[in-house]
Amino acid sequence: MHGKCGLFFSSYAAEARFFQSGFQRTCLGLFVLLLVAAPLLVGPYLLSVLNIICIAVIGAVSLNLLTGVCGQISLGHGAFMGVGAYGAAICTLRGVPFPLALLAGGAAASLAGMVFGVPSLRLKGIYLAIATLAAQLILEYVFLHAGGITGGSNGLLLDPPTIFGFSCNTDARMFYLLLVCAALSLLVVANLLRTRHGRAFVAIRDFHLSAEIAGVNLFAYKLMAFGVSAFLAGVAGGLWAHYTQFVSPEQFGISQSISCLAMIIIGGLGSVLGSVFGAVFLTLLPEGLNLVAGTLSAWFPDISAQLVALREGVFGLTLVLFLIFEPEGLAHRWKLVRAYWKLYPFAH
Amino acid sequence: MRTVMKTFLTLALCLALAAPALAETIKIGGLIDLSGPTSAVGRPYAEGLRAAAEYINAHGGVSGRQIEFLLQDTAYNPQQGLALYKKFATVDKVVAVQGFGTAVTEALVRFVAQDEIPNFSASYSAHLTDAAKAPYNFVIAADYSTQARAALKYFKDNWKESRAPRLALLYPNAPYGLAPIPAIKAYAKELGFELVGEENVDLKAIDATTQLLALKGKNPDYTWIGGTTPSTAVIMKDAKKLGMKTTFFVDIWGADESLVQLAGDAAEGAVSLQAAAVYGQDVPGMKAILEQTKNQPQMTHFIRGFASMMVMVEGMRQTLAKGPLTGKTLKETLETLRDYDPQGLTPKISFLPGDHRPNMSVFLYKIQNGKLTFLSAQTLERKAEWLGL
Repeated sequence: MHGKCGLFFSSYAAEARFFQSGFQRTCLGLFVLLLVAAPLLVGPYLLSVLNIICIAVIGAVSLNLLTGVCGQISLGHGAFMGVGAYGAAICTLRGVPFPLALLAGGAAASLAGMVFGVPSLRLKGIYLAIATLAAQLILEYVFLHAGGITGGSNGLLLDPPTIFGFSCNTDARMFYLLLVCAALSLLVVANLLRTRHGRAFVAIRDFHLSAEIAGVNLFAYKLMAFGVSAFLAGVAGGLWAHYTQFVSPEQFGISQSISCLAMIIIGGLGSVLGSVFGAVFLTLLPEGLNLVAGTLSAWFPDISAQLVALREGVFGLTLVLFLIFEPEGLAHRWKLVRAYWKLYPFAH
Repeated sequence: MRTVMKTFLTLALCLALAAPALAETIKIGGLIDLSGPTSAVGRPYAEGLRAAAEYINAHGGVSGRQIEFLLQDTAYNPQQGLALYKKFATVDKVVAVQGFGTAVTEALVRFVAQDEIPNFSASYSAHLTDAAKAPYNFVIAADYSTQARAALKYFKDNWKESRAPRLALLYPNAPYGLAPIPAIKAYAKELGFELVGEENVDLKAIDATTQLLALKGKNPDYTWIGGTTPSTAVIMKDAKKLGMKTTFFVDIWGADESLVQLAGDAAEGAVSLQAAAVYGQDVPGMKAILEQTKNQPQMTHFIRGFASMMVMVEGMRQTLAKGPLTGKTLKETLETLRDYDPQGLTPKISFLPGDHRPNMSVFLYKIQNGKLTFLSAQTLERKAEWLGL
C-alpha cells in the first residue's frame, strides 16, 4: 500500500478540516478513549485534578478567543466567570434545571461582558486592560453587596448538578459532564475561528484600521468577541460553582483573571490547543510543587516550609521564563516537536 | 524444607498481626495557608497544630494510638485546597481535617459533609457554626459576630458616663470584613450605643487619613477595626498622627503580637479580641506549650492551633472509649461535648447538635507596654436567633 507523500487538497473544505491525516484522527480517537476511561484508570485524587483542569480549559480557551484571537486584553475574566457562577447558582436554587441554568449563567456573563466591552471601541491596549480591570472591581463589589441575591459575604450553597434526574454527585460523574462541556467549548471556539467571524477577529487583532477598511464592523465584532468569550467564561464559572457546590465572591477575584491570562500566555496566544496546554500546565504546577516538597521532606524535614515560600516565586519565574524563551507558548513548542518527528530521521 | 516453610509462616503471621498494629495511627489532614496572603497567621497556627500533635504523641497518643498529622499548604486558593482535600479523603483516608482560611473552608463545606470528615477550621464566619448548613464544620473560637458582640457588651457594662457611648466602625470592603457588620450594628443599637460613622479601609491600605478625618469630628468613644494586622497598624498610626482619642477594638486576626511591632506606640491602649491565651499566660495548659516550644515565645494563633488539636483529640478519645473511630462517630461525639476545658487555653467548649458555636465567649486583651495584657473574659447568652448570623 502506498501512502500519500505530504498533504494536498483539492477543495477548501478539505483544507479547513481539523485533523487532516488518518494518523492524527487515530491519535485523537485514542486520546478521547483514554479520557473516557480515565475514571477507571486514575485514582480519585487525580480525577479531581482532571476535573479542575477541564474547568480551567474552558476558562482559558474563552479568554484566548478574546485576547489571543481578537487582541482585546481582558483583566475582568475572573469576574465574568463569577457572573456565570452566580447566574447559574441563582437559577438552580430557584428550581431551574441545571443545563438551562448553566446557559442562563453564560448568558448573564455574556451580557456583562458586552456591557464592559463597550469601551473597547475607543480604548486599546493598556487602556482597555484598565477598563476591564474596572469591570473586575465593579462586579466583585456587586457580588459582595447584592446580599439579597448573591448571599453577600456568606455566599451560596448549592447541590451537585442534576441532569434529567441524574445527579453528578461523584467525581467520576462530574468528570464526564465537565469533559463534555470542555470538549464542546473547544469545538465552538475552534469552529468559530474557521468562519468569517473568526477571520474578522484575527483581522482586528492584526491591525484594526486594515480590518475596518476591509469591511469589518469593528464595534460589532469586538462586542461579539466579548460576548462569546464571556459566555464561555460564565459556563466555566457555573460549572466550578456546581462542582464545589459553593459560590463566594472570593473565588472570582483578580487572581482568577490573572491566572487565566497566565494560562494563555504560557499555552500560546491565539491557539486553541495552547489554551489546553496552558490550563493543564498551570493547574498541575502547584500540584507538582507539592509533590516535590512532599518527596524532599522525607529526607529534609525542614525543606517543605522553604519550598512553600518559593511557590509564588516559582509561578512568577515560570511566567517570565516563558515570555523570554517561549513567547509563543507551549503550542509553538508542540508544533516544533511534531515537525521534528514528522521528518525523523531525515531532518533537513 | 519444613523449617523454611515454618519460618515463612511465622513471618507471615507476624506481619499479619503487625500490620494492623502499625495501621493504628490516626490520620489527620492539615489544610493551612502556609503561603499566600494569610500565611503570616497561618504558619504559627500550623506550628501550633503540629506541636500539639507531637505533644500528644509523646504523652501516650490518643488512647494509645499515635496521630499522623499530614500538613499541606493551600495558599488561600480554593482550587488547591479542593485538590488536596480530595487526596486526604480518598488516598490518605483521614479521619478529620484541620483547616484554616475562609476561602478553602467554605469551598469544602459540602464535601466534608458528604464524605463525613469533620473539618476544624480557623475560619470563624458565623454561618459555618450553623450545623444545618455546615454539619461537619467545627471551630474552637466564637464566630466573628459573637466576638464583636461580646466586646460591645463589655464596653457597655463598664461605661460610666450618663450619655450613650459613641461607636464607629472601620472595616475592609471584603467578605471577611463585612461578615460581622450587621451583627455589630444590630447589637450596638440594642445595647444603646450611638453609631456615629463607618468607613472602609482596604486590607492592603497604606493610608487611612481620609477615613479617619471623617470620623475624627464625630468623636467616637469606641472604634471597631476589622482587618488584618497590616491594615490595623496603618489605621492606628494615622489615628495617632491625627490625635484621635478613641478606644480601638480589633478582631481576632487584626491585633496580635505582630501588631505591636508594626504599629509601635500607636497600638497602646487598644483592645484585642482573642479566643485563646497568649504565650506565658497563667493558665494550666501553658505548661505543655512552654515544654513543647522550649520557652520560645509564640503568637496567640499558635496557641489556638494547639487548642484546636486538643479539642479534636478529646473528641477522638471519647469516641474511642465508646467504639470505633470514624468521621461520623467523631462528629456525633463532638456534639455531646459539654464545657470541655482545654486547660484554660481557650474558653470552655461545647458543641450541640444543630448548633456548632463552641461558646459565646471572648478573651479581651489590652495592649499595654507593647504586650497583650489579659483584661477580661466576656461571655454572652447562647441565643438561638444569633446562630449563623
